[in-house]
Amino acid sequence: MSSKAPVIAMRGITKRFGGVQALDNVDLQANAGEVLAIVGDNGAGKSTLIKILTGVYKPTSGEITLDGQPLSMNSHSDAIDLGIDAVYQTLAIADHLDPAANLFLGSELTKSFLGFRYLDNKSMREESIRVLKERLGVTLKSMDVATESLSGGQRQAVAIARAVRHADLRVLVMDEPTAALGPQETARTLSLIKVLREQGLAVIVISHSLDDVFEISDRVQVMRRGKNVGVKATKKTTSQEILGMIVGATEEA
Amino acid sequence: MSDIQSSQETRSTLAERIDPYLAILGPMAMIFLIAGFMAIVEPARYFRLSNLNIILLESALYMPMAMAMTFVITQRGIDLSIGSVAALSAIIMAFLIKQYGFPAEIAVILAVLLGALFGLINGLVITKFKVPDLIGTLAMDLVYRGFALVLAKGLVLARFPELITEIGRGQLFQFLPTPVVIGVLTLIGGYFLLTRTWFGRYSIAIGSNPEAAEMTGVAVDRHRVYAYVLMGAMAGLAGLMLTGKLNAVQATSAPYFNLHVIAAVVVGGTSLFGGRASMLGSFAGVLLLSMMINALVTLRIEFFWQSVASGVVIIISVATYAWLQKKDRDGSSRLLSALTTPDNIKLLRLTGLMLAAIFALLAMGTLFAEVAKPSG
Repeated sequence: MSSKAPVIAMRGITKRFGGVQALDNVDLQANAGEVLAIVGDNGAGKSTLIKILTGVYKPTSGEITLDGQPLSMNSHSDAIDLGIDAVYQTLAIADHLDPAANLFLGSELTKSFLGFRYLDNKSMREESIRVLKERLGVTLKSMDVATESLSGGQRQAVAIARAVRHADLRVLVMDEPTAALGPQETARTLSLIKVLREQGLAVIVISHSLDDVFEISDRVQVMRRGKNVGVKATKKTTSQEILGMIVGATEEA
Repeated sequence: MSDIQSSQETRSTLAERIDPYLAILGPMAMIFLIAGFMAIVEPARYFRLSNLNIILLESALYMPMAMAMTFVITQRGIDLSIGSVAALSAIIMAFLIKQYGFPAEIAVILAVLLGALFGLINGLVITKFKVPDLIGTLAMDLVYRGFALVLAKGLVLARFPELITEIGRGQLFQFLPTPVVIGVLTLIGGYFLLTRTWFGRYSIAIGSNPEAAEMTGVAVDRHRVYAYVLMGAMAGLAGLMLTGKLNAVQATSAPYFNLHVIAAVVVGGTSLFGGRASMLGSFAGVLLLSMMINALVTLRIEFFWQSVASGVVIIISVATYAWLQKKDRDGSSRLLSALTTPDNIKLLRLTGLMLAAIFALLAMGTLFAEVAKPSG
């Protein structure tokens, strides 16, 4: 693991939807070259917190700092510009397009001929092969097939590559990356996450699977009913303790 | 990471390798079937140069619309109003020339622009008012047809300037039929739109996964409107070509454009469920339908059987594509082994029975047709 400087920090985040308090004074800190897992029951506020971090929602109060500088984001694309991106559970992949087209969906590379701009499929393809190989260590059998014919893990790799394609990506948020995958594909996805950690990204993973959390994460943040219950170093805790924190058993005990 | 690589180096099966070309192989096979059948039954009359010219001219009329419909259907949309859009644009153009003395050059451009305007209205009705495309365009079909009838009443407007007949039935350089040139050019343009522009790329993305398109920042509604505008413009062009071909137009012209064009596009392998587009397939589909209808005429089968044949071809092609897609979801890569599962044997038996019934009906059709005498 490289430096442990906090890349991004959220302090005192509170979010209300009308009368519902989704988040109450939550802190979060993600370091470069580290995987932070966020666990918690359904409705604990994990997704809301992540959506605030990626610019989808605006917090009611609280501040977010990137490298110590306070920042404000008005949309998800602001977050991408700042180097914060997310891979959703649904992957947001168009199954009929080839991997390169998916990798560049929404921000295609173009060429211009006599003032007429058109898509540069060749560069997009070459760039995709490079990003998949260099950043994720993945080589797809064919770049010409529809993405639907790839395995679950490869599709995930394409979705991750879309985020890490930006060279200035600092923080990658992954929402339930292994929820729809079998054991073998899960193992591959987890190794992809480790590769990204080695490259110095701050990775934040939301997961319901404590097995996965203990395999890949460096720290675990437990959320319960919109509050931050605690952050533990993965090596110094047990799944028993984390489970207790998730259901609230330790508070009463 | 080496385990990921090694598992991907498994050799691709034949089915996987031909898969990208499947869309074009289907209509091509059917084209060869028809050509082969006609070569045995009626070679002299079917393959006469003048008859081949008729087939090409007939299909040219549908090529621009098939091109645009490929985009609409790829986006999971449908446009049932194109026949009326073609008729209304052509009628307005005819009035502009005959009553208001517009020069033909300007009227021709206006016909295409009017079509685009009607397409824009369709697109706005669908995206802004959230009327489902099927109902929206069906209703607009009534509206446009109604306007055409209001304008033209029962009139047949005929005898147009040379430019318009040139577009509809002229010859470029003495040997190239102008409408065929126009049709093929629009298809080539459509191919570049599909593979080289944002519009084409986003059309596939929207049809494939609308939520993903929205999440990655694609302006979904805007690109849907573009598709309907293109569709309208091409329908206007088709109306113009039809007017030129017949040198006449009336309010009830182009009644079945919509179903014919949708059939051609679907037969060509563009999926009605969105995301799967084939411009070459649409070309083959248009050609196939024209060849089939011409074959029925050449065989002297009664005109009304054309409708039966078109319907059967649509069902067969959609069913085949649906079955092929189910197969690759099951993960069985070999076509032959997939065919021998009990389920599929039952399915094949049912297909055989239905085809036998249809061929029996067609045979009856030929018999009746020979009894009838041409009426002058």
